Amino acid sequence: MSGTYDQHGVPAGTIELAAATRSFRVQADAGRTLKELVLRTGARRKGIAGPDEVWALRGVDLRIEPGETVAIVGRNGAGKSSTLRVLAGIVPLDGGSVRVGGHVAALLDLAAGFSRDFTGRENILMGGALYGLTRRQVEDRLDEMVAFSELGEFVDLPLKAYSSGMLVRLAFAIVAFLDADVLLIDEVLAVGDGAFQRKCEERIASQVAGGSTLVLVSHDLSLIERTCARTVLLEGGRVAADGPTSEVLAGYVRLLEQEAAPVRGTDHLADVAAGTTGPVAVPTSPEDDA
Amino acid sequence: MSSTSVSRPADLKGHGFLFQQLVQRELRQKYQGSVLGLLWYLVNPLLLLGAYYLMFGVVLKPGFSHPAYPLFIMTAMVVWLFVQQTLPAAGDSLLAQAALLRKARFPREIIPTAVVTVQALTFAALLAIVAVLTVAFRGTLGFPLLLLPVVVVLLILFVQGLALAISGLHAHFRDVQPIVGAILVPWFFVTPIFYRPTDITDQELARFALEWVNPVAPFAEAVRTILYDGNVPSAATLLYLVLAAAGALVVGAALFRRLQRDLAVML
Repeated sequence: MSGTYDQHGVPAGTIELAAATRSFRVQADAGRTLKELVLRTGARRKGIAGPDEVWALRGVDLRIEPGETVAIVGRNGAGKSSTLRVLAGIVPLDGGSVRVGGHVAALLDLAAGFSRDFTGRENILMGGALYGLTRRQVEDRLDEMVAFSELGEFVDLPLKAYSSGMLVRLAFAIVAFLDADVLLIDEVLAVGDGAFQRKCEERIASQVAGGSTLVLVSHDLSLIERTCARTVLLEGGRVAADGPTSEVLAGYVRLLEQEAAPVRGTDHLADVAAGTTGPVAVPTSPEDDA
Repeated sequence: MSSTSVSRPADLKGHGFLFQQLVQRELRQKYQGSVLGLLWYLVNPLLLLGAYYLMFGVVLKPGFSHPAYPLFIMTAMVVWLFVQQTLPAAGDSLLAQAALLRKARFPREIIPTAVVTVQALTFAALLAIVAVLTVAFRGTLGFPLLLLPVVVVLLILFVQGLALAISGLHAHFRDVQPIVGAILVPWFFVTPIFYRPTDITDQELARFALEWVNPVAPFAEAVRTILYDGNVPSAATLLYLVLAAAGALVVGAALFRRLQRDLAVML
Protein backbone atom coordinates (compact mmCIF):
# COMPACT_ATOMS: atom_id res chain seq x y z
CA MET A 1 0.00 0.00 0.00
CA SER A 2 1.20 3.49 -0.62
CA GLY A 3 -0.28 6.94 -0.46
CA THR A 4 0.31 9.92 -2.66
CA TYR A 5 1.85 13.33 -2.08
CA ASP A 6 0.70 15.89 -4.54
CA GLN A 7 1.47 19.55 -4.92
CA HIS A 8 -0.87 20.13 -7.80
CA GLY A 9 -4.57 20.37 -8.11
CA VAL A 10 -5.19 22.56 -5.10
CA PRO A 11 -4.71 26.32 -4.81
CA ALA A 12 -1.59 27.62 -3.06
CA GLY A 13 -2.00 27.46 0.70
CA THR A 14 -4.60 24.71 0.61
CA ILE A 15 -4.06 21.46 2.49
CA GLU A 16 -6.11 18.37 1.85
CA LEU A 17 -5.73 15.04 3.58
CA ALA A 18 -8.03 12.29 2.33
CA ALA A 19 -8.28 8.96 4.14
CA ALA A 20 -4.66 9.50 5.14
CA THR A 21 -3.16 6.45 6.76
CA ARG A 22 0.26 5.89 8.20
CA SER A 23 1.61 3.43 10.72
CA PHE A 24 5.03 2.89 12.21
CA ARG A 25 6.75 -0.20 13.41
CA VAL A 26 7.21 -0.14 17.13
CA GLN A 27 10.57 -1.83 16.94
CA ALA A 28 12.41 0.98 15.28
CA ASP A 29 15.53 -1.10 14.93
CA ALA A 30 13.95 -4.10 13.29
CA GLY A 31 15.54 -5.19 10.09
CA ARG A 32 18.61 -3.05 10.36
CA THR A 33 20.97 -5.88 9.63
CA LEU A 34 20.74 -8.78 7.25
CA LYS A 35 20.71 -11.18 10.15
CA GLU A 36 17.60 -9.59 11.59
CA LEU A 37 15.98 -9.55 8.17
CA VAL A 38 16.61 -13.26 7.78
CA LEU A 39 15.31 -14.01 11.27
CA ARG A 40 12.23 -11.89 10.72
CA THR A 41 11.47 -13.44 7.36
CA GLY A 42 11.88 -16.86 8.91
CA ALA A 43 9.54 -15.96 11.74
CA ARG A 44 6.94 -14.68 9.31
CA ARG A 45 7.06 -17.82 7.31
CA LYS A 46 6.30 -19.78 10.45
CA GLY A 47 3.30 -17.58 11.02
CA ILE A 48 4.73 -15.62 13.91
CA ALA A 49 3.56 -12.03 13.80
CA GLY A 50 6.02 -9.36 12.70
CA PRO A 51 6.83 -6.30 14.76
CA ASP A 52 3.84 -4.46 16.17
CA GLU A 53 2.67 -1.36 14.41
CA VAL A 54 1.37 1.86 15.86
CA TRP A 55 -1.03 4.02 13.94
CA ALA A 56 0.03 7.61 13.51
CA LEU A 57 -2.74 8.45 11.10
CA ARG A 58 -5.76 6.26 10.70
CA GLY A 59 -8.01 7.52 7.96
CA VAL A 60 -7.64 11.24 8.51
CA ASP A 61 -9.70 13.59 6.37
CA LEU A 62 -8.83 17.23 6.73
CA ARG A 63 -9.15 20.26 4.53
CA ILE A 64 -7.48 23.54 5.36
CA GLU A 65 -8.11 26.62 3.26
CA PRO A 66 -5.49 29.24 2.34
CA GLY A 67 -4.89 31.74 5.12
CA GLU A 68 -6.31 29.53 7.86
CA THR A 69 -4.50 29.18 11.17
CA VAL A 70 -4.87 25.69 12.52
CA ALA A 71 -3.50 24.13 15.67
CA ILE A 72 -3.17 20.40 16.06
CA VAL A 73 -3.48 19.15 19.63
CA GLY A 74 -3.58 15.74 21.19
CA ARG A 75 -1.70 13.66 23.68
CA ASN A 76 1.75 12.29 22.99
CA GLY A 77 1.51 9.69 20.28
CA ALA A 78 -1.79 10.97 18.94
CA GLY A 79 -0.27 11.61 15.51
CA LYS A 80 0.41 15.35 15.63
CA SER A 81 4.02 15.35 14.55
CA SER A 82 3.40 12.63 12.03
CA THR A 83 0.71 14.78 10.49
CA LEU A 84 3.15 17.64 10.07
CA ARG A 85 5.76 15.35 8.57
CA VAL A 86 3.22 13.97 6.15
CA LEU A 87 2.20 17.50 5.17
CA ALA A 88 5.86 18.41 4.67
CA GLY A 89 6.25 15.44 2.35
CA ILE A 90 9.00 13.92 4.44
CA VAL A 91 7.07 10.91 5.62
CA PRO A 92 5.05 9.12 2.93
CA LEU A 93 1.55 7.83 3.57
CA ASP A 94 0.68 4.14 3.59
CA GLY A 95 -2.68 4.92 2.10
CA GLY A 96 -4.86 7.83 1.13
CA SER A 97 -3.61 11.08 -0.25
CA VAL A 98 -2.20 14.41 0.80
CA ARG A 99 -2.29 17.52 -1.32
CA VAL A 100 -0.50 20.67 -0.35
CA GLY A 101 -0.69 23.67 -2.64
CA GLY A 102 2.29 25.94 -3.12
CA HIS A 103 5.57 26.23 -1.25
CA VAL A 104 5.79 24.50 2.09
CA ALA A 105 8.17 25.52 4.85
CA ALA A 106 8.43 23.41 7.96
CA LEU A 107 10.13 23.98 11.26
CA LEU A 108 9.92 20.52 12.70
CA ASP A 109 12.32 19.78 15.48
CA LEU A 110 15.22 21.40 17.20
CA ALA A 111 17.25 18.25 17.52
CA ALA A 112 18.73 18.05 14.07
CA GLY A 113 19.52 19.71 10.84
CA PHE A 114 22.37 22.17 11.10
CA SER A 115 26.06 21.48 10.66
CA ARG A 116 28.02 22.61 13.65
CA ASP A 117 31.22 23.07 11.69
CA PHE A 118 29.70 25.63 9.36
CA THR A 119 28.90 29.25 9.99
CA GLY A 120 25.41 30.66 10.43
CA ARG A 121 25.65 32.18 6.98
CA GLU A 122 26.59 28.86 5.41
CA ASN A 123 23.76 27.15 7.22
CA ILE A 124 21.37 29.74 5.90
CA LEU A 125 22.54 28.94 2.37
CA MET A 126 21.98 25.26 3.01
CA GLY A 127 18.58 25.93 4.54
CA GLY A 128 17.50 27.87 1.47
CA ALA A 129 18.95 25.18 -0.79
CA LEU A 130 16.88 22.54 0.97
CA TYR A 131 13.85 24.65 0.22
CA GLY A 132 14.72 24.51 -3.45
CA LEU A 133 15.82 28.13 -3.74
CA THR A 134 18.64 29.24 -6.02
CA ARG A 135 21.77 30.87 -4.63
CA ARG A 136 20.52 34.24 -5.82
CA GLN A 137 17.15 33.81 -4.12
CA VAL A 138 18.79 32.89 -0.82
CA GLU A 139 21.26 35.74 -1.01
CA ASP A 140 18.42 38.17 -1.65
CA ARG A 141 16.85 37.11 1.65
CA LEU A 142 20.05 36.73 3.58
CA ASP A 143 20.17 40.21 5.13
CA GLU A 144 16.58 39.97 6.36
CA MET A 145 17.24 36.58 7.87
CA VAL A 146 20.42 37.70 9.60
CA ALA A 147 18.76 40.83 10.95
CA PHE A 148 15.79 38.89 12.25
CA SER A 149 17.95 36.29 13.94
CA GLU A 150 19.76 39.02 15.93
CA LEU A 151 22.95 37.01 15.56
CA GLY A 152 25.11 40.00 14.70
CA GLU A 153 28.71 39.01 14.16
CA PHE A 154 28.00 35.46 15.24
CA VAL A 155 26.54 34.80 11.82
CA ASP A 156 30.06 34.30 10.53
CA LEU A 157 31.11 31.96 13.31
CA PRO A 158 30.65 28.18 13.24
CA LEU A 159 27.51 26.97 14.93
CA LYS A 160 29.42 25.25 17.68
CA ALA A 161 30.00 28.71 19.13
CA TYR A 162 26.24 29.33 19.39
CA SER A 163 23.99 29.13 22.40
CA SER A 164 20.82 27.05 22.01
CA GLY A 165 18.83 30.28 21.89
CA MET A 166 20.89 31.50 18.97
CA LEU A 167 20.29 28.26 17.12
CA VAL A 168 16.54 28.61 17.56
CA ARG A 169 16.65 32.18 16.31
CA LEU A 170 18.65 31.14 13.27
CA ALA A 171 16.35 28.24 12.53
CA PHE A 172 13.26 30.36 12.80
CA ALA A 173 14.75 33.21 10.78
CA ILE A 174 15.40 30.90 7.83
CA VAL A 175 11.91 29.48 7.76
CA ALA A 176 10.18 32.76 8.44
CA PHE A 177 11.64 34.44 5.38
CA LEU A 178 11.15 31.70 2.83
CA ASP A 179 7.83 33.24 1.77
CA ALA A 180 6.10 29.89 1.98
CA ASP A 181 2.41 29.41 1.23
CA VAL A 182 2.16 26.85 4.00
CA LEU A 183 4.01 27.15 7.31
CA LEU A 184 4.33 24.01 9.42
CA ILE A 185 5.63 24.59 12.93
CA ASP A 186 6.18 21.97 15.59
CA GLU A 187 6.58 23.08 19.15
CA VAL A 188 9.80 24.99 18.62
CA LEU A 189 8.54 28.44 19.55
CA ALA A 190 8.67 27.59 23.20
CA VAL A 191 12.45 27.55 23.20
CA GLY A 192 13.46 31.15 22.57
CA ASP A 193 13.25 33.89 25.17
CA GLY A 194 10.04 35.83 25.66
CA ALA A 195 10.97 38.78 23.49
CA PHE A 196 12.03 36.61 20.58
CA GLN A 197 8.90 34.47 20.92
CA ARG A 198 6.76 37.57 20.53
CA LYS A 199 8.80 38.57 17.50
CA CYS A 200 8.24 35.14 15.97
CA GLU A 201 4.53 35.33 16.64
CA GLU A 202 4.41 38.74 14.98
CA ARG A 203 6.32 37.46 11.98
CA ILE A 204 3.94 34.49 11.66
CA ALA A 205 0.97 36.82 12.00
CA SER A 206 2.26 38.99 9.18
CA GLN A 207 2.83 35.92 7.02
CA VAL A 208 -0.72 34.82 7.71
CA ALA A 209 -2.01 38.30 6.97
CA GLY A 210 -0.20 37.97 3.65
CA GLY A 211 -2.23 34.86 2.88
CA SER A 212 -0.03 32.05 4.22
CA THR A 213 -1.57 29.05 5.92
CA LEU A 214 -0.28 28.09 9.36
CA VAL A 215 -0.39 24.66 10.92
CA LEU A 216 0.98 24.59 14.45
CA VAL A 217 1.57 21.66 16.75
CA SER A 218 1.96 22.69 20.34
CA HIS A 219 1.19 21.85 23.93
CA ASP A 220 1.16 25.55 24.78
CA LEU A 221 -2.56 26.22 24.93
CA SER A 222 -2.22 29.96 25.36
CA LEU A 223 0.03 30.16 22.28
CA ILE A 224 -2.65 28.27 20.38
CA GLU A 225 -5.35 30.62 21.58
CA ARG A 226 -3.29 33.61 20.47
CA THR A 227 -2.30 32.32 17.03
CA CYS A 228 -4.85 29.82 15.77
CA ALA A 229 -8.52 30.29 14.93
CA ARG A 230 -9.16 26.62 14.37
CA THR A 231 -8.01 23.58 16.30
CA VAL A 232 -7.97 19.91 15.40
CA LEU A 233 -7.84 17.33 18.17
CA LEU A 234 -6.17 14.08 17.23
CA GLU A 235 -6.71 10.94 19.21
CA GLY A 236 -5.09 7.66 18.27
CA GLY A 237 -4.42 8.82 14.76
CA ARG A 238 -7.98 9.95 14.13
CA VAL A 239 -9.63 13.36 14.16
CA ALA A 240 -11.55 13.48 17.45
CA ALA A 241 -12.67 17.09 17.19
CA ASP A 242 -12.32 19.90 14.70
CA GLY A 243 -13.65 23.42 15.12
CA PRO A 244 -13.08 26.88 16.59
CA THR A 245 -10.11 26.89 18.92
CA SER A 246 -12.02 27.89 22.05
CA GLU A 247 -14.49 25.00 21.72
CA VAL A 248 -12.02 22.30 20.83
CA LEU A 249 -9.57 23.36 23.50
CA ALA A 250 -12.28 23.31 26.14
CA GLY A 251 -13.09 19.74 25.19
CA TYR A 252 -9.41 18.83 25.13
CA VAL A 253 -8.81 20.24 28.61
CA ARG A 254 -11.81 18.28 29.94
CA LEU A 255 -10.41 15.15 28.35
CA LEU A 256 -7.06 15.67 29.99
CA GLU A 257 -8.62 16.41 33.36
CA GLN A 258 -10.77 13.29 33.29
CA GLU A 259 -7.73 11.26 32.57
CA ALA A 260 -5.22 12.86 34.88
CA ALA A 261 -7.42 13.75 37.87
CA PRO A 262 -7.57 10.34 39.53
CA VAL A 263 -3.85 9.89 39.32
CA ARG A 264 -2.25 13.25 39.50
CA GLY A 265 -2.82 16.63 41.04
CA THR A 266 -3.88 19.73 39.21
CA ASP A 267 -0.77 20.18 37.16
CA HIS A 268 -1.68 17.75 34.41
CA LEU A 269 -1.17 20.20 31.60
CA ALA A 270 2.41 20.57 32.67
CA ASP A 271 2.64 16.80 32.71
CA VAL A 272 1.35 16.65 29.19
CA ALA A 273 3.78 19.30 28.11
CA ALA A 274 6.64 17.49 29.75
CA GLY A 275 5.59 14.29 28.08
CA THR A 276 5.04 12.47 31.33
CA THR A 277 1.41 11.67 30.75
CA GLY A 278 0.94 8.06 29.88
CA PRO A 279 2.03 6.69 26.55
CA VAL A 280 -0.69 6.38 23.99
CA ALA A 281 0.05 3.15 22.28
CA VAL A 282 -2.83 2.32 20.02
CA PRO A 283 -3.46 -1.39 19.87
CA THR A 284 -3.09 -2.83 16.43
CA SER A 285 -5.45 -5.43 15.17
CA PRO A 286 -3.75 -8.42 13.55
CA GLU A 287 -5.27 -7.93 10.10
CA ASP A 288 -3.69 -4.50 9.89
CA ASP A 289 -0.17 -5.81 9.96
CA ALA A 290 1.50 -4.93 6.72
CA MET B 1 19.17 23.26 16.01
CA SER B 2 16.31 22.99 13.77
CA SER B 3 14.56 21.39 10.98
CA THR B 4 13.48 23.32 8.03
CA SER B 5 11.57 21.39 5.54
CA VAL B 6 10.45 22.72 2.40
CA SER B 7 9.44 21.73 -1.00
CA ARG B 8 8.63 23.37 -4.21
CA PRO B 9 5.38 22.87 -5.97
CA ALA B 10 5.80 21.31 -9.31
CA ASP B 11 9.16 19.80 -9.77
CA LEU B 12 11.84 18.52 -7.55
CA LYS B 13 14.33 19.40 -10.20
CA GLY B 14 14.89 22.89 -8.82
CA HIS B 15 17.46 21.52 -6.42
CA GLY B 16 20.60 22.42 -8.29
CA PHE B 17 21.72 24.75 -5.53
CA LEU B 18 21.22 22.04 -2.92
CA PHE B 19 23.37 19.71 -4.99
CA GLN B 20 26.04 22.37 -5.28
CA GLN B 21 25.95 23.02 -1.53
CA LEU B 22 26.31 19.32 -0.77
CA VAL B 23 29.27 18.96 -3.12
CA GLN B 24 30.96 22.02 -1.59
CA ARG B 25 30.38 20.71 1.90
CA GLU B 26 31.64 17.28 1.06
CA LEU B 27 34.81 18.77 -0.39
CA ARG B 28 35.39 21.14 2.49
CA GLN B 29 34.37 18.99 5.41
CA LYS B 30 36.81 16.28 4.45
CA TYR B 31 39.96 18.27 4.70
CA GLN B 32 38.95 21.39 6.54
CA GLY B 33 41.71 22.63 8.78
CA SER B 34 44.41 20.58 7.12
CA VAL B 35 47.47 22.23 5.64
CA LEU B 36 47.38 20.54 2.27
CA GLY B 37 43.59 20.82 2.15
CA LEU B 38 42.11 19.56 -1.07
CA LEU B 39 45.52 18.38 -2.23
CA TRP B 40 45.07 15.38 0.05
CA TYR B 41 42.60 14.10 -2.48
CA LEU B 42 45.52 13.76 -4.87
CA VAL B 43 48.36 13.00 -2.47
CA ASN B 44 46.81 9.83 -1.11
CA PRO B 45 46.22 8.15 -4.46
CA LEU B 46 49.66 9.18 -5.67
CA LEU B 47 51.28 7.69 -2.58
CA LEU B 48 49.29 4.53 -3.13
CA LEU B 49 50.41 4.37 -6.75
CA GLY B 50 54.00 4.75 -5.62
CA ALA B 51 53.62 1.97 -3.04
CA TYR B 52 52.11 -0.42 -5.55
CA TYR B 53 54.82 0.30 -8.07
CA LEU B 54 57.45 -0.41 -5.45
CA MET B 55 55.73 -3.65 -4.50
CA PHE B 56 54.86 -5.07 -7.88
CA GLY B 57 57.45 -3.40 -10.06
CA VAL B 58 60.60 -3.41 -7.96
CA VAL B 59 60.31 -5.79 -5.01
CA LEU B 60 58.29 -8.66 -6.44
CA LYS B 61 59.77 -8.65 -9.96
CA PRO B 62 56.97 -10.29 -11.95
CA GLY B 63 57.70 -12.77 -14.73
CA PHE B 64 56.50 -10.41 -17.40
CA SER B 65 57.50 -6.91 -18.29
CA HIS B 66 56.00 -3.80 -19.76
CA PRO B 67 57.93 -0.73 -20.75
CA ALA B 68 57.44 2.27 -18.49
CA TYR B 69 55.88 -0.05 -15.96
CA PRO B 70 54.77 2.70 -13.51
CA LEU B 71 52.67 4.22 -16.28
CA PHE B 72 51.30 0.80 -17.18
CA ILE B 73 50.11 0.44 -13.58
CA MET B 74 48.90 3.98 -13.15
CA THR B 75 46.68 4.10 -16.21
CA ALA B 76 44.62 1.21 -14.87
CA MET B 77 45.03 2.08 -11.21
CA VAL B 78 43.29 5.47 -11.48
CA VAL B 79 40.15 3.69 -12.61
CA TRP B 80 40.33 1.25 -9.75
CA LEU B 81 40.96 3.99 -7.17
CA PHE B 82 37.85 5.83 -8.28
CA VAL B 83 35.73 2.72 -7.78
CA GLN B 84 37.42 1.82 -4.53
CA GLN B 85 37.04 5.25 -2.95
CA THR B 86 33.54 5.99 -4.18
CA LEU B 87 31.63 2.87 -3.22
CA PRO B 88 32.28 2.95 0.55
CA ALA B 89 31.79 6.73 0.66
CA ALA B 90 28.46 6.42 -1.14
CA GLY B 91 27.41 3.57 1.12
CA ASP B 92 27.68 5.79 4.14
CA SER B 93 26.26 8.92 2.57
CA LEU B 94 22.56 8.63 3.46
CA LEU B 95 23.34 7.87 7.07
CA ALA B 96 25.76 10.76 7.24
CA GLN B 97 23.11 13.15 5.95
CA ALA B 98 20.20 11.71 7.89
CA ALA B 99 19.54 15.11 9.45
CA LEU B 100 18.89 16.64 6.05
CA LEU B 101 16.65 13.75 5.05
CA ARG B 102 14.51 14.31 8.13
CA LYS B 103 14.39 18.00 7.45
CA ALA B 104 13.12 18.42 3.95
CA ARG B 105 11.50 16.94 0.92
CA PHE B 106 13.98 16.73 -1.91
CA PRO B 107 15.10 14.02 -4.31
CA ARG B 108 17.11 11.67 -2.12
CA GLU B 109 19.37 10.73 -5.04
CA ILE B 110 21.07 14.09 -4.59
CA ILE B 111 22.99 12.83 -1.57
CA PRO B 112 24.82 9.81 -3.05
CA THR B 113 25.17 11.70 -6.32
CA ALA B 114 27.02 14.52 -4.54
CA VAL B 115 29.44 11.96 -3.09
CA VAL B 116 30.02 10.42 -6.52
CA THR B 117 30.56 13.89 -7.96
CA VAL B 118 33.24 14.77 -5.43
CA GLN B 119 35.04 11.50 -6.10
CA ALA B 120 34.63 11.96 -9.85
CA LEU B 121 36.27 15.39 -9.62
CA THR B 122 39.22 13.84 -7.78
CA PHE B 123 39.35 11.07 -10.34
CA ALA B 124 39.34 13.57 -13.20
CA ALA B 125 42.18 15.57 -11.65
CA LEU B 126 44.26 12.48 -11.04
CA LEU B 127 43.50 11.12 -14.50
CA ALA B 128 44.57 14.41 -16.05
CA ILE B 129 47.97 14.14 -14.34
CA VAL B 130 48.37 10.49 -15.34
CA ALA B 131 47.24 11.22 -18.91
CA VAL B 132 49.72 14.05 -19.41
CA LEU B 133 52.58 11.97 -18.02
CA THR B 134 51.69 8.88 -20.01
CA VAL B 135 51.12 10.65 -23.29
CA ALA B 136 54.39 12.54 -22.86
CA PHE B 137 56.50 9.51 -21.99
CA ARG B 138 54.84 7.04 -24.32
CA GLY B 139 54.29 9.39 -27.23
CA THR B 140 50.68 8.31 -27.54
CA LEU B 141 49.25 11.63 -28.60
CA GLY B 142 46.62 10.86 -31.20
CA PHE B 143 42.99 10.62 -32.08
CA PRO B 144 42.29 7.65 -29.76
CA LEU B 145 42.55 10.21 -26.93
CA LEU B 146 39.22 11.59 -28.09
CA LEU B 147 37.64 8.42 -26.74
CA LEU B 148 38.98 9.03 -23.25
CA PRO B 149 36.16 11.40 -22.19
CA VAL B 150 33.61 8.90 -23.47
CA VAL B 151 35.12 6.11 -21.39
CA VAL B 152 35.33 8.41 -18.36
CA VAL B 153 31.68 9.39 -18.62
CA LEU B 154 30.62 5.75 -18.97
CA LEU B 155 32.73 4.85 -15.94
CA ILE B 156 31.18 7.61 -13.85
CA LEU B 157 27.69 6.49 -14.83
CA PHE B 158 28.56 2.89 -13.98
CA VAL B 159 29.85 3.93 -10.56
CA GLN B 160 26.85 6.18 -10.02
CA GLY B 161 24.57 3.18 -10.57
CA LEU B 162 26.50 1.09 -8.05
CA ALA B 163 26.58 4.02 -5.61
CA LEU B 164 22.79 4.41 -5.74
CA ALA B 165 22.29 0.72 -5.09
CA ILE B 166 24.82 0.54 -2.27
CA SER B 167 23.68 3.70 -0.51
CA GLY B 168 20.04 2.64 -0.61
CA LEU B 169 20.81 -0.87 0.57
CA HIS B 170 23.13 0.27 3.34
CA ALA B 171 20.47 2.60 4.74
CA HIS B 172 18.28 -0.47 5.22
CA PHE B 173 20.85 -3.07 6.11
CA ARG B 174 23.90 -1.86 7.94
CA ASP B 175 25.90 -4.88 6.80
CA VAL B 176 26.12 -3.65 3.25
CA GLN B 177 28.99 -1.23 3.61
CA PRO B 178 31.24 -3.68 5.51
CA ILE B 179 30.43 -6.29 2.88
CA VAL B 180 31.41 -3.87 0.13
CA GLY B 181 34.61 -3.05 2.01
CA ALA B 182 35.42 -6.74 2.25
CA ILE B 183 34.67 -7.41 -1.41
CA LEU B 184 36.89 -4.55 -2.53
CA VAL B 185 40.04 -6.29 -1.28
CA PRO B 186 39.90 -9.43 -3.47
CA TRP B 187 38.26 -7.36 -6.19
CA PHE B 188 41.42 -5.30 -6.43
CA PHE B 189 43.60 -8.34 -7.00
CA VAL B 190 41.42 -9.87 -9.70
CA THR B 191 41.33 -6.54 -11.52
CA PRO B 192 44.12 -6.49 -14.13
CA ILE B 193 46.05 -3.47 -12.86
CA PHE B 194 49.67 -4.46 -12.47
CA TYR B 195 49.31 -7.19 -15.09
CA ARG B 196 47.33 -8.01 -18.17
CA PRO B 197 45.40 -11.28 -18.12
CA THR B 198 47.61 -12.60 -20.90
CA ASP B 199 50.65 -12.02 -18.67
CA ILE B 200 49.60 -14.42 -16.00
CA THR B 201 47.60 -17.19 -17.62
CA ASP B 202 47.44 -19.21 -20.82
CA GLN B 203 44.09 -20.69 -20.00
CA GLU B 204 41.38 -19.39 -22.26
CA LEU B 205 38.67 -19.53 -19.61
CA ALA B 206 40.69 -17.82 -16.88
CA ARG B 207 41.65 -15.06 -19.26
CA PHE B 208 38.10 -14.57 -20.38
CA ALA B 209 36.97 -14.38 -16.75
CA LEU B 210 39.64 -11.84 -15.83
CA GLU B 211 38.82 -9.71 -18.82
CA TRP B 212 35.04 -9.72 -18.79
CA VAL B 213 33.46 -11.06 -15.61
CA ASN B 214 34.74 -8.24 -13.46
CA PRO B 215 33.07 -5.12 -14.85
CA VAL B 216 35.86 -2.82 -13.66
CA ALA B 217 38.42 -4.66 -15.81
CA PRO B 218 37.15 -3.49 -19.21
CA PHE B 219 37.00 0.11 -17.94
CA ALA B 220 40.56 -0.06 -16.64
CA GLU B 221 41.81 -1.75 -19.79
CA ALA B 222 40.03 0.77 -22.02
CA VAL B 223 41.75 3.69 -20.28
CA ARG B 224 45.09 1.89 -20.48
CA THR B 225 44.60 1.03 -24.14
CA ILE B 226 43.93 4.67 -24.96
CA LEU B 227 46.64 6.28 -22.83
CA TYR B 228 49.39 3.68 -22.58
CA ASP B 229 49.05 1.90 -25.94
CA GLY B 230 47.69 4.83 -27.90
CA ASN B 231 45.09 2.53 -29.43
CA VAL B 232 41.33 2.51 -29.76
CA PRO B 233 39.66 -0.03 -27.46
CA SER B 234 37.95 -2.89 -29.27
CA ALA B 235 34.35 -2.49 -30.34
CA ALA B 236 33.44 -5.31 -27.98
CA THR B 237 35.00 -3.40 -25.08
CA LEU B 238 33.18 -0.19 -25.93
CA LEU B 239 29.88 -2.01 -26.26
CA TYR B 240 30.55 -3.70 -22.93
CA LEU B 241 31.19 -0.33 -21.28
CA VAL B 242 27.94 1.11 -22.61
CA LEU B 243 25.97 -1.90 -21.43
CA ALA B 244 27.68 -1.97 -18.02
CA ALA B 245 27.00 1.72 -17.45
CA ALA B 246 23.38 1.50 -18.61
CA GLY B 247 22.75 -1.69 -16.66
CA ALA B 248 24.23 -0.38 -13.42
CA LEU B 249 22.37 2.89 -13.73
CA VAL B 250 18.99 1.33 -14.50
CA VAL B 251 19.23 -1.26 -11.74
CA GLY B 252 20.75 1.18 -9.24
CA ALA B 253 18.15 3.86 -9.87
CA ALA B 254 15.26 1.39 -9.69
CA LEU B 255 16.56 -0.10 -6.47
CA PHE B 256 17.11 3.31 -4.95
CA ARG B 257 13.61 4.43 -5.84
CA ARG B 258 12.22 1.45 -3.99
CA LEU B 259 14.46 1.86 -0.97
CA GLN B 260 14.26 5.63 -0.50
CA ARG B 261 10.62 5.79 0.56
CA ASP B 262 10.97 5.69 4.31
CA LEU B 263 14.45 7.12 4.70
CA ALA B 264 13.27 10.02 6.85
CA VAL B 265 11.61 7.60 9.25
CA MET B 266 14.21 4.90 9.51
CA LEU B 267 17.46 6.83 9.66
